[in-house]
Amino acid sequence: MSAPGPPKALNGDGASLLPRADRIHTERVETTRLASLSHVLATEHGARLADLFADDGADGQIVLRSVYALDHESRYLVLECEIDRDRFPPLSDLDPAAFVEECEIYEQYGIRPDGVRRLNRVLVPPHRADRFPRLGRREGLRLARDYEPHVVTGEAFEFPFGPVRVTGWESLYMGLVTTGEEVLDLYLFHWHKHRGLDHRLRGLEPERATFFAERADGLSSVGDTLAFCRAVEMATGSEVPAPAAHTRAVALELERIYNHAAAVAAMCQTTGLSVGQARSEIVLERLLRCNLAAFGHRYLFGVVSPGGVRREPDAEEIRRQLPGILDEFRYVVDALLVTNSHVDRLESTGIVTPGNAHRLSLVGPVARGSGQAIDVRRDHPTGPGDEPVPVVQVQPAGDALARMRVMVAEVEEAARLIDAHLGEAGAGSEPLAGGGGAGLGWAESPRGEALAWVSLDGDGRIDGVRLRPASVRNWRAFDDAARAQNVFTDIPIIEASFWLTVAGFAR
Amino acid sequence: MAFWFYRGVRKGIATTRYPSTVDPWARGLPSAPGFHAARLTIPLVDRLVGECPAGALTREDQELVVDLGRCTGCGRCLELGTGAVRSTGEFLLATSDRAALIKRVPIRGDREASGGG
Repeated sequence: MSAPGPPKALNGDGASLLPRADRIHTERVETTRLASLSHVLATEHGARLADLFADDGADGQIVLRSVYALDHESRYLVLECEIDRDRFPPLSDLDPAAFVEECEIYEQYGIRPDGVRRLNRVLVPPHRADRFPRLGRREGLRLARDYEPHVVTGEAFEFPFGPVRVTGWESLYMGLVTTGEEVLDLYLFHWHKHRGLDHRLRGLEPERATFFAERADGLSSVGDTLAFCRAVEMATGSEVPAPAAHTRAVALELERIYNHAAAVAAMCQTTGLSVGQARSEIVLERLLRCNLAAFGHRYLFGVVSPGGVRREPDAEEIRRQLPGILDEFRYVVDALLVTNSHVDRLESTGIVTPGNAHRLSLVGPVARGSGQAIDVRRDHPTGPGDEPVPVVQVQPAGDALARMRVMVAEVEEAARLIDAHLGEAGAGSEPLAGGGGAGLGWAESPRGEALAWVSLDGDGRIDGVRLRPASVRNWRAFDDAARAQNVFTDIPIIEASFWLTVAGFAR
Repeated sequence: MAFWFYRGVRKGIATTRYPSTVDPWARGLPSAPGFHAARLTIPLVDRLVGECPAGALTREDQELVVDLGRCTGCGRCLELGTGAVRSTGEFLLATSDRAALIKRVPIRGDREASGGG
């Protein structure tokens, strides 16, 4: 893969600070340089802001880490910056993709971006703000004074929907601001599902922490756990046996297939096509049973572990069941795409423009449905080197139909990848190398790029962790999609086509 | 819309008789563990308790206390306690009585190994 050169912003002379063999480069920068560096990375080097978070530093200081994906170079760049006061440079002034993370840092550490702009409440429940476990807790911190007030004015009113919603849908409050039918604005409260996992994983051994990491977002358990385990493996310098790497790939693609089938079923439900929903859910149920037969768990829990895998796939069962299920899926999708009442409801609904998708650094099918060819399986490969490269499925329209088409095409691609990996897949796990360290892990979960940052102390226990499921990145586009000339009944369709989880955001 | 009807008819009935009859596929579901009292020793129980990530296992003196309300069926105890732990295959655990989900298993392995009663 070609590497067009390092970010000149780092050294100014074009000499490589990022050895090609390295997938990650960590660079310490001065606080005063952070904003200008971020701007140069985004505008001149095509860097994508993948994450921004705070961590405990030495001597009570707070370290701010911004993670940039250099997709065309197959590398991640981590900028670390020590914050020694209550303010840090506002990245979101230049890069709107950073705003949600800035709000989260404020909630967890009590430090905020410079400037007068108010922040949004994202994770800490207002009624438990003083008691809920937070990273870097500061006594006496009163968060509410810096929040943007929740105000609805003029002829508009707020139509409350949630947090208890339809059976089977997660807890989420939607405040639909409207004058009647069209959605003018939208408030989303995710905090009902916040469990403070980043806080609770501290002090655990990686093996035990994996159990909780895979429950952060149950529908992306393989993708999120894979990112977490890769971060642990990088922190300890551990290698994964090749058969285990192939097994991980099989589980990841099975997870993608059942999630995309579930999204199609949800889209049928929200367009009122109950017979299509029933047929899609039959496919979904068969896929879950295939998961059970292949790996012993319908949602593929317990497959991935630090250093390898705990289970190997039953290749015979996958080969026996999957082709027939996929035939049925194609049969359903063919019918859906010629059903006008379904297609008309998806077309031009919940549009995310390519510009917005890029500006907000979206990932997964939401980004690919808006013309962004981002897929870490291709852009940041991690396998043993002989793995098949996925063909990235892209649609330009940015509406719910484009997202559905991307998912349908990805099911076919996932099936091809499973077939290619299955022959090499097997059991295996290497003991983690001892000692401490830090690492970044990633995986292309069904919802897009999942990231995890892990630092281990000298005893190999978790000193700090940051789980960043794909839902964290993509929920920020939901507001824009909902406001794009949509009416009440479009909102569930948009939600189904995004197919995000609240748990993944509010972990 | 008629083709949805014809396609449905061609595919036949997809519903099952559950819950009047448990579907055969459900036998493979992860289920709560069962413990052989005669094969449990205190060191083994302590290892099982330490390994259970859900906190479903505790030891109270000479008894293993199993909280099925906490168990996620992850299977870690099955891997660790070969011979002393088995999968029950029982997954219909719903009850209105929380206490019914707490099981107590006497630890007899130590006594039997030492010839005690």
